[in-house]
Parts: sequence; structure tokens; C-alpha cells
Amino acid sequence: MLPENLEWKFPSSAEEAVELLRRPGAMLHGGGTRILKTNPKGVKLLIDVGALGLGYINYIDNAFYIGSDVTFSEIVKYSKKENKIALLGEALSNAASTPLRNRITIGGSLKDFPIWSSLYAPLIALKARVEILKDKPEIYSVEDYVLKGVIKTKHVIRHVIIDDEENLICGVKRFSVLRFEYPVFTIAAALKINGQTIKDARLVITGVKKRFKRFIKAENALKGQPLGDLPLEGALRHINPVFIPDYKFSARYKESTARVYFSDLLNELTEQIKGDDENEDSVQH
Amino acid sequence: MYKYVNKPVEKIDGLALVTGEEKYTDDFIYKDMLHVAILHSGYAHAKIEEIDDTEALKMPGVVEVLSYKNINRILYTTAGQGYPEPSPYDTCLFNDVMRFVGDNILAVAAETKEIAEKALSKIKVKFTVLEPLLNFEDAETSEVIIHNGDNSHAMIPVYYDPSQNLAAKVEASVGDFEGAYMDSPKKLDCTFYTSYASHCAIEPHAAVTFLDRRGRLIICSTTQVPFHVRRIVSAVCEIPIAKIRVIKPRIGGGFGGKQEVLLEPVAALVTWRTKRPAKLTYSRKEVFRSTRTRHQYRTTFKAGYSEDGSINALHLDALENSGAYGSHALTVLSNAGSKTLPLLNKIQNLKFTGKGVYTNLPTGGAYRGYGATEAYFGLGQIIDMICEETKTDIIEFYKKWTIKPGETSPIFQALGEGKAGVAMTIGSSSLEECISLGLKESGWYEKRKLYGKDSPLNQGRFRRGIGMSVMMQGSAIPEIDMASAYMKMNDDGSFNLLVGATDLGTGSDTVLSQIASEVLDTPVEQIIVNSSDTDHTPFDTGAYASSTTYLSGQAVKKCAEEIKRQILKTGAAMLHLGEESVEVKNSSVTSKDGLSGVSFEEICRYSFYEKDQFQIQATASHVSPKSPPPFAAHFAEIEVDTLTGIIKVLNYAAAVDCGVPINTTLAEGQAEGAIVNGLAYAIFEDFYFSEKGKLLNDTFGKYGFMTASDIPPIKVILVKSFEETGPFGAKSISEININGALPSLANAFYNATGKRLLRAPFTPEKVLWALEN
Amino acid sequence: MKIPFNINSRIKELEVKPNETLLSALRNNGYTEVKCGCSEGECGACLVLMDEKPVNSCQVLAMSVRDKKVKTVKGIGTLYLPHQIQKAFVKAGADQCGFCSPGMIIASYSILKETENKPTKEDITRGLDGNLCRCTGYVKILEAVENAAKTSLTEETKAPEAVCTNM
Repeated sequence: MLPENLEWKFPSSAEEAVELLRRPGAMLHGGGTRILKTNPKGVKLLIDVGALGLGYINYIDNAFYIGSDVTFSEIVKYSKKENKIALLGEALSNAASTPLRNRITIGGSLKDFPIWSSLYAPLIALKARVEILKDKPEIYSVEDYVLKGVIKTKHVIRHVIIDDEENLICGVKRFSVLRFEYPVFTIAAALKINGQTIKDARLVITGVKKRFKRFIKAENALKGQPLGDLPLEGALRHINPVFIPDYKFSARYKESTARVYFSDLLNELTEQIKGDDENEDSVQH
Repeated sequence: MYKYVNKPVEKIDGLALVTGEEKYTDDFIYKDMLHVAILHSGYAHAKIEEIDDTEALKMPGVVEVLSYKNINRILYTTAGQGYPEPSPYDTCLFNDVMRFVGDNILAVAAETKEIAEKALSKIKVKFTVLEPLLNFEDAETSEVIIHNGDNSHAMIPVYYDPSQNLAAKVEASVGDFEGAYMDSPKKLDCTFYTSYASHCAIEPHAAVTFLDRRGRLIICSTTQVPFHVRRIVSAVCEIPIAKIRVIKPRIGGGFGGKQEVLLEPVAALVTWRTKRPAKLTYSRKEVFRSTRTRHQYRTTFKAGYSEDGSINALHLDALENSGAYGSHALTVLSNAGSKTLPLLNKIQNLKFTGKGVYTNLPTGGAYRGYGATEAYFGLGQIIDMICEETKTDIIEFYKKWTIKPGETSPIFQALGEGKAGVAMTIGSSSLEECISLGLKESGWYEKRKLYGKDSPLNQGRFRRGIGMSVMMQGSAIPEIDMASAYMKMNDDGSFNLLVGATDLGTGSDTVLSQIASEVLDTPVEQIIVNSSDTDHTPFDTGAYASSTTYLSGQAVKKCAEEIKRQILKTGAAMLHLGEESVEVKNSSVTSKDGLSGVSFEEICRYSFYEKDQFQIQATASHVSPKSPPPFAAHFAEIEVDTLTGIIKVLNYAAAVDCGVPINTTLAEGQAEGAIVNGLAYAIFEDFYFSEKGKLLNDTFGKYGFMTASDIPPIKVILVKSFEETGPFGAKSISEININGALPSLANAFYNATGKRLLRAPFTPEKVLWALEN
Repeated sequence: MKIPFNINSRIKELEVKPNETLLSALRNNGYTEVKCGCSEGECGACLVLMDEKPVNSCQVLAMSVRDKKVKTVKGIGTLYLPHQIQKAFVKAGADQCGFCSPGMIIASYSILKETENKPTKEDITRGLDGNLCRCTGYVKILEAVENAAKTSLTEETKAPEAVCTNM
């Protein structure tokens, strides 16, 4: 339970928010859905980010800048309307529920990173970076943001930066029995194509023991391989996520299902590549 | 034929519901109201040695702490049944032994909810932790005795032995099962398990209490049984019935979960002691952990049958996990037999044995389906097994072996609710037509041919199957349940209809108005319904056992018929005609030759002001001599992902005989709601416990709940029959349709994969396990 | 403390605690048409419109609702002037116990508005993915939204004052 004498501040600049964040018991408030779920102890001051002007999605120099106060719904809407960042749009369109997506912000979700997050897998697959403000602006890859412990420091997230890469074939899948349920895991795959080969591959899962995992060996198995004959079986052998068992699913079940999901996803992406090829062929003829 | 019944009449409270005007229990806010919070046990089994509430009582705003230390120890049952209850008296408002995680230790009443909740954390309770009994199959042999020396006792002469952890035991036999089983050329012996479940009414349980201007206690609560609440609160809180009034406002769904009298006595006692209004509303977690559940079951079926698929002998043995207390233990258990075995009344040798056992797990209670759901899971599958084994067409099997109009089953008499049952002949059934229409709707024969475990089209990762099952339920408890109604006429020709019947959202207020309208040939708008107020409405046992339309409806019909007689008599006098030459028509009394007439308005004015003045009014009660079963045939088409174990329901069709549906829209709605509840129970609903007996999935998110995206196309077909003993031919529909999903899906799974699902729910891992074994 | 709120197109000073949710603030100030089914953002009974977007009011801290317009189900239509979607719910029998109805109406209204009355089946099921109902099995709710889409949205109605009546 948050204290009854909780103090609220509504700063109008990120710098002001950073300043306020130095005060003891200070915490940022975005959509508010996480703070009400986790009820963190020792909070004395909530700094509302609503007036910081971070509710933008900008497209500058082939990159998307998504302000930290942008809600999941707004990203989904943008993605549909502009036909851009489809991977993120699709992942977030399945996250939580409609009314929650109207409140959950990308910044809040990045900072809190619940284990069932549907946000991290697509962001890592898209090589997203996060720009934060502490004393000065700093930019980290989303992976480093977590692995280097930046996530645990006091900072204001400005925006997430995603390059608008060309020739990127990508997809996301989320495992849950029901539509509105905490997903057991979310997987994302992005394949960068150069001519007739895979130039780069990113295969990510969230919901695992260490929150997220990239399957570097599986990615390497795909890199440089010809599109017509991708060694999917070889790559799938390296899909070995480590899960924590819970009351609904054993670790073994989660692991085998994750492999099935990756297999499905990679097959779908391969079909997509073939489909694109055929389309190009038909245009040429 | 009918003017106001058998029609899709809109709910009379509908617009008020969807515009947020209607009030539910928690919406009542009073000045100076105290807020009550409950401290629940974190141990599955523990003796309270000491409660130190000094710190809490020192807190500003804390007014009262209630525990076993300062209340009289009065044994009762929370079951909310008629008197004397068939459930054992095995609990007190606050006990000194905690018997499951979530059991009530004490209550704090304070000026605000926040203070009350904070006070709970200041109370120090010293326990002696006892060994818990967490596996119901061990209950009979366990050294742990749940109700030991606490004077728990049965109120009626039934078998009850807490020293063996036995909360209930039922046996019934027809013919010679053992002999016929031995002599049968083919035998089957199969065990099934069904899970715990929460009712998940979206409105959490709540009670608001206050004293009226003359010091009487008013209880407003989320109850299915206002009259039982009055009686039970009176006994537990030692307040005379004359001093208690129970009002049921709108209720946000019940499904059996609000039959239990859990919160009312706590709030009532706070108000009675402090003389101040009090409110107790449970959080969702408390609803999951501390209220009642569907009992967990193990059912074992033994069948002796012949090569041609004839069943010679059938034994159903049920083991019921009653949990910490014996609420509904006996009656759910007996219904597991009495609502299933009579369906196949051609079987000559039948045996039913059942035990309900105590454990240190959440307590079972009434839950839509009430034992029948648990038993049909196995029964529906063994029929499929026998048909598959003997190459019998399951459709033909059901058409041949099920009970028909004019037939009976000795089980009706053998299995009652805490006493012998009531012999009954089936008066109405359109089951054969249900089966025919259902198989047509589902494309049964085509799909059966197309799918199937041996079909070459069905050997890939995704396998499809179709399965069906047939079921019955009951309508009210015969010779036990009573409903009554009172009606009076107003001087514009409208009527006040006062009923004890309890509308939980089912629409019974509307259904009962339609019945009165039909009798009096006057629009539904002319019937002003007031229901469930123990001061103002006559007695009704309450909303359970699929009784309201059938039983309370018949009371309303009788009452309206008496009103009609008085109207006819008065109208005839006004027209100077004999009663035999007038009739009620279009809100008036007219001569049969159509030449003269007087309106209802004129009749009431006359009766009030002109001659031989009197109030046109009537009351009627009804007890049913029988419990006519509704019937249904359910068809489910599924797709199994053999790699992940996920079952997707592709189509679901249900053909239902509820007699004459009084309100066709509401009847369909009851069926659709029950089907989706049944599907959820079949696919994922379960309770997961820690090693120490703590419920782990105690939120909607963790428990799982289907949303509109998760439901398959569902087709409900109402197939009329005419039940002579019901109002305008009606029987019940509220419970029956929860029974079909478990066996129909399991049979579809067999059709798809050749494997049987013996443990519900069919979660992905269990499905994979079934596929591998 | 007293904070001005724009609720159902009226400016209201509500007594609000800094740690209070919007749901609690609304109910404590008499807007009991907003229901509480779980307090966890998982049932949708407490939905309100915030700047015309449905949100779980139990997952919003009241203090953060500055300069935003809040609408409860009564802001969509009242007993005396019901909205098309409300009439459609009653007609289809989508109103059983009615406890989920205020939230369902909010979500349905928003679906119709977002899709300009031309929702696909997917728009409807997705738009209702945060609203739980145990009574209906959703069949009649889906029917109601489809039917309401066929009749055009009426102009925004101004709700009469919601009155909290004691018995």
C-alpha cells in the first residue's frame, strides 16, 4: 500500500524530473499499472512523467524515436497506420488487455520489466536502444540496459530508438492458453537479408530464468546461409532456454514448447522469404 | 399460443443495469459506517493458542475485534440450506482451530477500511502448527483428524463420522450389481478426476448491515438465500428473527457461491454490538481463498456389458474432497448419483457409493452442476468407451438407453437429499429430438467420418475430433423446497408481485412477471415485482437447485390464478353476469359474447370504493411433488496440437430441453453462460496449492478466465417439451449445460487421437502426457 | 485533498487521497456505477473512459488524472436517455447480472467509436479482451455490439446528475 502522505510532483522537463528523482523515496510515475501491482515499499514521492512531453513517436534519419510516455495502444495504432515497426506493433497488440494497453507506457514497462513482458523480445530482436537521462544523456542497447544494471539506477527514460532496417524479416509469438493471461514466454526472431543470404539473425526469448536470452549459437548457425536452404534444424538445436518451473508448467514443458514455437516462427519467416521471392519473380516476368 | 411467456422479453431491470443505476451490496454507503476486515489463516492446520490484539485496539479508529475469544461458540453450517440442514454443524463464526489456508481467524471493525486492514497486521496470533492433511485420497487412513472433539454433528439422521474424516457417506443400490458384473462378458473399470474451481462471479461477496430507526438489524448482502440468511444469522448471532430483515439488492452473479452464509453473521455481529452500520466486502483474493469452491472429485466407474453394447451392471463410486468443512458434502455427493444414473434407466443393476472426506484444503460448496458435472465427466466417457469397444453408434445408444416420458428410475427414490428420494415418472422429454437436432447442427456423421484417429486426413501435428454426450439435471428439490408469492391489485389495474425468489442476475424477476402476465393477460409492465426482502416478501427457499422458474414460477402462477378468480368475480358482478359467462382478456373482464366488458382499472376502483369493498389480493405457496429433469445433448469439435498439447475448441452445439422456455433469450443466455463455464472448467480451471496447502492462483490473471476472444462458436438450440407440473410447461435450465463440456471434449479428444483424458482440466501438459501414455 | 475532476462533462471537486486509485475515489464520491470486481486490472468492471479511452480505474492513481476527461457509464447514456449500445445490450439479453455491464458498455462504446461503427469480429473480441463476464458466455454480448454497430452512433449525450441514493 502506498503511503497516505504520498507527495506528487508534475515536472515539465526531463531535467527537472532527474533532479526530483534524487530525493529519497522518489519514483517515476507513468501509466501507474505496475506501481499498483507491486506496491513498492518506501515510496514517498511520485514524479508524474505526463507533462515531460515524452509522448511522441518521431521518425528521423531512418530511425524511430518512441518517447517513454507513449502507451502500448499508441504504438500499436502507429504501427498499423504507418505500416511500420510491425514486430513491435504485433507484440504489443497482444500484450495485457485493451484498457491496460491504454495505460502501460513503453518507458514504464522497460524500467519495470515484469517476467511476462511482451516488450523486451521484439525490442532486442530489433536492436533497439534506450536513451536515458541521469546527469547527462546516455544511450544503451536494450540488452546492455538490463545486463549492465542501468535498469536498477535512478534515471529518466527519454525514448527508445529503433533503426528502420531494410530487408528485415521478423516475427513474434507469445505462449499462453488464453487471450488475457500472463504469457509463459514470448519469442521474437529477426532475419536481416542481404541478397540471397542471411546477413544477420536475432533470436530472443523472454520469460526464461534470466528474464531474456538471445540464442547466439542459433543465430550464428543461420548467418551467412543461403535463403533457399536454411539450416533450421541446426539452428533449433541451439534453442535451449532455461526456465523456472511453476505450478502450471514444468521447465521441461516450457523448454520443449519454446522450441516448437521457434520452429513454427522460423518456418513462417522462411515461407515469408519464399513468398517475397515469388512476388518479385512474378513482377519480373 | 402464449402471449407473454415463451417470448424474448427484455429484462425488466435491464436498462437500469446497463446504465449503472442499479445498486449492488457494496454500493450502499452509510454515514458513520464501520469497515470490517478479516484476518485469515496462513496455516492449513493450526490451533490458535493466543490472540494479542492490544496494539490493534490502541490504534485510533479501531472499534471492535471479534474472535473466538469474545463470541459464544455456536456450531452451525455455512451451507445456506433449508432447516434442518443436510450439511453437518461443524464450524463456528470464529474457530480456535484453523483448518485451511484462508480460514477466518478474527475480524476487525474500524472507521476506515485502511485502518481495519492496518490493524490486522498489528495483531499477534500464536499458533501450534498441526500436521495438515492435503491429499483427499489419504483422508480415511490419515492420522490427522480434522474435526477432533469439536462436537461437530449432523442435524439429520445420516451417516457422519468425523473421527474418520468422513463428512458424508451415501450408498444406493438397484438390482444386483456384483452378480451382473461378474456375469458380464465384457468389463470396464476406469477412474476419473475433476478439479477444484472457483465460481468467479464478477461481484465479490459483500454484506452491509445497519440498524433501522427502531433498532432492528437490516442485512443487505450478496446472497442467493435471504430467508436462510435471516434464520442462520439469528442462530449464530443470537438475535431474534423478528429483529432481522434481510434485503437482497442486485446480485453480481452467484452460481452457488453466494448460497453460503459467510460474511453476513460477521457484519451483523459488528452492527449488533456497536449499533453502527458495518460493511464487509471481500477482495478477489479472499473470494478465491476463503469462500467456497467446487468439490474436487475422484469417480470410479465399473461396468459389465455385452458384445452388443448393452450395459448389464454399472457401479459409480465417488470420493469427494469436502475440504475443511462439510458444506454441501452430503447433497453434492448424492446428486453425483441421482442426477446421472437415472439417465440410463434401462440398466438393471446399478450401484452408487460415495464418501465425502475432510481435508485441510478450501471448503467445497454448491456450484452450478452440483455433483452432476463431476460424475458426467466419467459417465459420458465410459459410454463412449463401451460404444467404441463394441462398435455401437453412440447416437443410437443414447436414443435407446436414456429415460423416456412415462418411465422411471428406482434411483429417484433411492437417492434423496439427506433422506430417501422421491419416486418420479418422467412427464416430459424432447431428448431424442435434442440428439437429432444437435447431430445435424454439428455435422456429426460427416465429421465423425472425416476425423477419427484412423482417418488418413488426421495424422499430422494438428488432429481434429468430434465428441458428444447427453445429460440431465433436476428442477428444484422435491417435497423439500417451498416457494411462495403474494400479489395485490392497484387502482390503475397494475399489480404488485412480491416474491421471495432471488434474482441473481438470472432474470427471474422478469420470468416471474411474464408468468403473472400470461395468467392475467396483462402486459409485463403492469406487474411491479419486488423480490427477496424478508420483511416484505413471502418465504422462498432461495435461488439454488435449478428451482426458481419451475418452483417459484408455479407459486406465482397459482397466486395469479387466484387473483384472476377474484377479478372475474368482481367483473362479473359489475357486468351483472354470471362468472361462467365472462373471461379475462386484454387487461379487462369481458362477456364471452364480447358485448360488454370492464377494464382492470375499473374493477380495482370498484373493489376499492364502490360496493362490498375489498383488496383484490392473493398469496400462494408451492412445493413440488417431483423434480422433472431437463435434458441436453452436447456436441464438441476440437483440434489438438500434438506438439504443445493445446486443445482448441472449434465448434460447440447444445440442444436443450428445458420444457417450455418462459423467456427464450434468457434461457439461451443461461445455456451459453453454463457452456462457457463448462469449457473453462474442462480446459484450464483448477486450484494449484503450495506444499503447505496455500492456494497459489488466487487472482483472475493467475486462475485464468476466458474472454470474448477465447470462446468458440456456440450454438444453443432450445427444444421444447411440455412439463405438466411446471408453469406453462417450464422446467429448469440454469445448471444442466455446465455438464457437457468435460465428457464431450474428452470424447472428441479420443476421436482425434485414440487416447483418453481421465484427469481434468485438460491443460497442455496433461494432454501431452495422455498422448504419450 | 479536494481536486477538480472533469467527470461526465461536469467539473466536480472530489475528495481524493494521494495514494488512492481513481476507482476508489470515484466510488467514495458516489460514482458507484463504476464497479470493483478485482482491483487488479484483470476484470474490467471498473472501466471508465479517460479522454475517450477505456482504462481500468483500479489501475490509475486518481492524482494522475489531471486535465483529463473522465466518463463513467452514465456519461455514455442514462436510464432516461440511453445510448444505442445500452439499448442493444438489453435487447440482445447481454445483461444478466449486470455487474460487468458498466465496464462492458464502456469497452463496447469505445470499439464502436474507434471503428466508426464498422467493427470487424476481431475488433470486437479484441476490444473486449479486458472485460470478464461469467454469466453470458459472451455470446449475447458479441451479438449486442454487432447489432449496435448496425444502428448509427447517436450524438454524445449529456448525463443527468448521478445520485447516490440510500435506502
